[in-house]
Amino acid sequence: MAEAILFYLFAAGVLVAGAQVIFRRNPIYGALSLVGCFFFLSGVYVLLGAHLIAILQVLVYAGAVMVLFVFVIMLLNLKDEELGEQRITAWKGIGLAAVMVAAGVIAWRALGPAFPQGALVQAGRRVDNALLVAGFGGVKAVGRTLYLASILPFEVTSLLLLVAVVAAVVVAKGKI
Amino acid sequence: MEVSWLHLVPLLPLIGAAVCGLVGKWLPKGWVYAVALASVLLSFLVGLRAFLGLDEGVQLFHQLAFNWFSAGSLRVDMAFTFDRLSGALTLVVTGVGFLIHVYSVGYMDEDPGYWRYFAYLNLFIAAMLTLVLGDNLVAMFVGWEGVGLCSYLLIGFWFTDEEKASAGRKAFVVNRIGDFGFLIGIFILFTQLGTVSIAQINSAVIPLGVASLAALCLFIGATGKSAQIPLYIWLPDAMAGPTPVSALIHAATMVTAGVYMVARLSHLYVSAPGVMAAVAVVGTITAIWSALIATSQNDIKKVLAYSTVSQLGFMFIGVGVGAFFAGTLHLITHAFFKACLFLGAGAVIHGLHGEQDLPRMGGLRKYMPSTRTTFLIATIAITGILPLSGFFSKDEILAQALHTRAFSFLTLTPSGSMRLTWLGPLIYAVGSFVAFLTSFYMWRCYFLAFSGEYRGPETVHPHESPPVMTVPLWILAGLSVVGLLLGLPPSWVHGTALEHWTWEHFTEGVFARPRGDAPGEFSPALGFGIALLVGWLGWAGSYALYFKRGLLGDEMLSARLGPVRRALANKLYVDELYDRVIVRPLWALARGLWRVVDATLIDGLFVNGIPALIAWVSAMARRFQNGDVQRYAAVTALGVAALLYVFLVRS
Amino acid sequence: MDFFHAHQAQHYLVLGALLFALGAAGVVLRRNAIIVLMSIELMLNAVNLTFLAFARFPLVPNSPMGSFLSGHAAVFFVIATAAAEAAVGLAIIIAVFRSRTSVNVDEFDTLKL
Repeated sequence: MAEAILFYLFAAGVLVAGAQVIFRRNPIYGALSLVGCFFFLSGVYVLLGAHLIAILQVLVYAGAVMVLFVFVIMLLNLKDEELGEQRITAWKGIGLAAVMVAAGVIAWRALGPAFPQGALVQAGRRVDNALLVAGFGGVKAVGRTLYLASILPFEVTSLLLLVAVVAAVVVAKGKI
Repeated sequence: MEVSWLHLVPLLPLIGAAVCGLVGKWLPKGWVYAVALASVLLSFLVGLRAFLGLDEGVQLFHQLAFNWFSAGSLRVDMAFTFDRLSGALTLVVTGVGFLIHVYSVGYMDEDPGYWRYFAYLNLFIAAMLTLVLGDNLVAMFVGWEGVGLCSYLLIGFWFTDEEKASAGRKAFVVNRIGDFGFLIGIFILFTQLGTVSIAQINSAVIPLGVASLAALCLFIGATGKSAQIPLYIWLPDAMAGPTPVSALIHAATMVTAGVYMVARLSHLYVSAPGVMAAVAVVGTITAIWSALIATSQNDIKKVLAYSTVSQLGFMFIGVGVGAFFAGTLHLITHAFFKACLFLGAGAVIHGLHGEQDLPRMGGLRKYMPSTRTTFLIATIAITGILPLSGFFSKDEILAQALHTRAFSFLTLTPSGSMRLTWLGPLIYAVGSFVAFLTSFYMWRCYFLAFSGEYRGPETVHPHESPPVMTVPLWILAGLSVVGLLLGLPPSWVHGTALEHWTWEHFTEGVFARPRGDAPGEFSPALGFGIALLVGWLGWAGSYALYFKRGLLGDEMLSARLGPVRRALANKLYVDELYDRVIVRPLWALARGLWRVVDATLIDGLFVNGIPALIAWVSAMARRFQNGDVQRYAAVTALGVAALLYVFLVRS
Repeated sequence: MDFFHAHQAQHYLVLGALLFALGAAGVVLRRNAIIVLMSIELMLNAVNLTFLAFARFPLVPNSPMGSFLSGHAAVFFVIATAAAEAAVGLAIIIAVFRSRTSVNVDEFDTLKL
């Protein structure tokens, strides 16, 4: 029961903050809303038992990526009039409709009968976390997965991060 | 007998041609001469060695040089066959060719393009040898085409002159028309018999219809190459080339390729007696047609050219009536004396610094004794007033025509009303008249050039040619005399040692016998009597008109037969007729095709239309990329929606 | 009918779908390049949520590779990649801003035919 309440709370937070991101004119407000969205999302992750990921979400996403965003927004220092008006075009309407259709399709499918309703229901009883992997979502379990099953993507990602750092520095510099 | 050195015979001149052609420009002159002459001489020596190796035991040498290509059931090898017929021809080609090479050293000495000349000449020898030695029809056709190409290159040798260049082109185009017939013949033989090998064709049993059609098509090729009606028109124009070229190609070797081909495929032709009759008739008509024209020509080379056409007609009469040995014998003797005549004419032209017109010659016996004597000997040979080589060969042909039985079962109409037994005697009569004409115009040529007094301009001083040119003349004149041994009638030499020298004996078994009974034995005395008579009559008429009076003889004839002589002098307007009927319509057609089809249709529709279409399409497509990122994003969202629909809803 | 009891997969999936829709709408509708980047981050987070939902509620229970939490590993990589991409994207925006003094995406239209 508590999980249900917490879930709806966090979900509402996520959606409201997300809506703020796309509806606010001032990018600073959008960035801060996004931070809030990430926090709520982190809560949802905890409900899903992904503890490590939840922490990482706060540390990396909200703590590093969004900081970067805010830095850049403040660096650009756009005045109010430079921000410009919103233009409405036909294509934007088409795109919006397509997006809503896409979301609707996913939701419909998720709610549809073919989808296992609440998996791991055995004999009418929900299966709780204890039957899942020991230490589900913890550092040890995730680390095991990373270093044993997906070691190659792991290494490649490190390379990717190096490349991204170099690229960002090179692109953003005024004079090389 | 399989050998491995036979390919040297056509290969050596080919190498000579390559060397002269590719690097001859930068080699010293002497080296070019040496290479060109040596290659032909070596080829002659190899051929001679092979020839001497032919005896009772060894009937032929054969070599498969390499497999050219195989496609389906067709296998074409470059293979050479050296038997009695092709061997003798090889010796003639390389021997006379060598003499003409030597002569050319003198004749072309001052020409800056001499290296090109010798390259082409060697290439011609190589191609002609491929033709002669070819073991199958395709190899023969390679040589056939090759000599046609070299003929074009050599006739138009001085290509900077528009007229000479177009003479070369005319030769090639007319030859090509004949070649088309030749190819059709090859195709027919291949599809019906499954082979292009000459040996296999000669030993196969060929049904009448197939044989007739194939033989006819091949003969069309022969009319082109050997200058018979209707495709002889290129040969008089071909005199635009250097005179040694005329001697080699248009007297001794290339034009005889048609006769050779018919003789080679004698078995095919005896299977098609109707075509043989056609061959003989065409030969006869050509002979008399060109002999008449030759009586009224004023250019010394043109006289000899029409004479060649006429003599080729004789050869075709020979092979047409089934006397293959007679036709080929005349081929060989004609090579000797016609080459001598042409080279002599060349010496005259060379000595007069380019003068070719008979009315401006005369009295040259005083200035060019060697040339005069050899020319005289060759003229005697061709006209047959004394029994030199030409006498026997020509007479043999006519005798065979008179007595042939090859036409005895042919009929004019399919229902079998009129038998063609009279065709042989008719050919004999016409041929004898042609012999009379031959004697007449050849002696006219001789008298106008060498007798009487010099009629040319004062500034030209006639002189004798250098030995490098006169020695070949003497050799050829000697061969014209000695060649009589080849043609001696068997009844004269039966039992003596000379019997083995006669051509008829030598080629026994090589040719097929025509159907019908064997021709009756010809009484030599009567035949020779008539032949001598017509020859002397021609000489007498010419002597009376031209010996003392010179050009007055022409004027007297024109006074009596004015319009006839005018028509003959204008070659009976054949070229003009062809121009009107064939050439101009073709030009108009080509022009029309160019304007309508090429310019309008193809250029408009495809060359210009397709780019215009593409430009229009891309102008449409360009509007999709206008740089608006948000539109791209919207389109991407559409795509995502579609994908999700496909994967989630319709899975 | 225990729909309103959470802790069934479809709740999380629907949330993910809505979050994705929000992000996609932001990409389509907004002109400010930085807002667009943030909308992209929203979409990536929606994807992360879906990954984790399936990790928690697998379609095939007790699968042989079940001891490996591949869903979590995938999210790990997504976060790393998103960070990298955000860095580079922002660097590009700075560079473009330097030459054009504008960050509105509909003014970046020189890449056209």
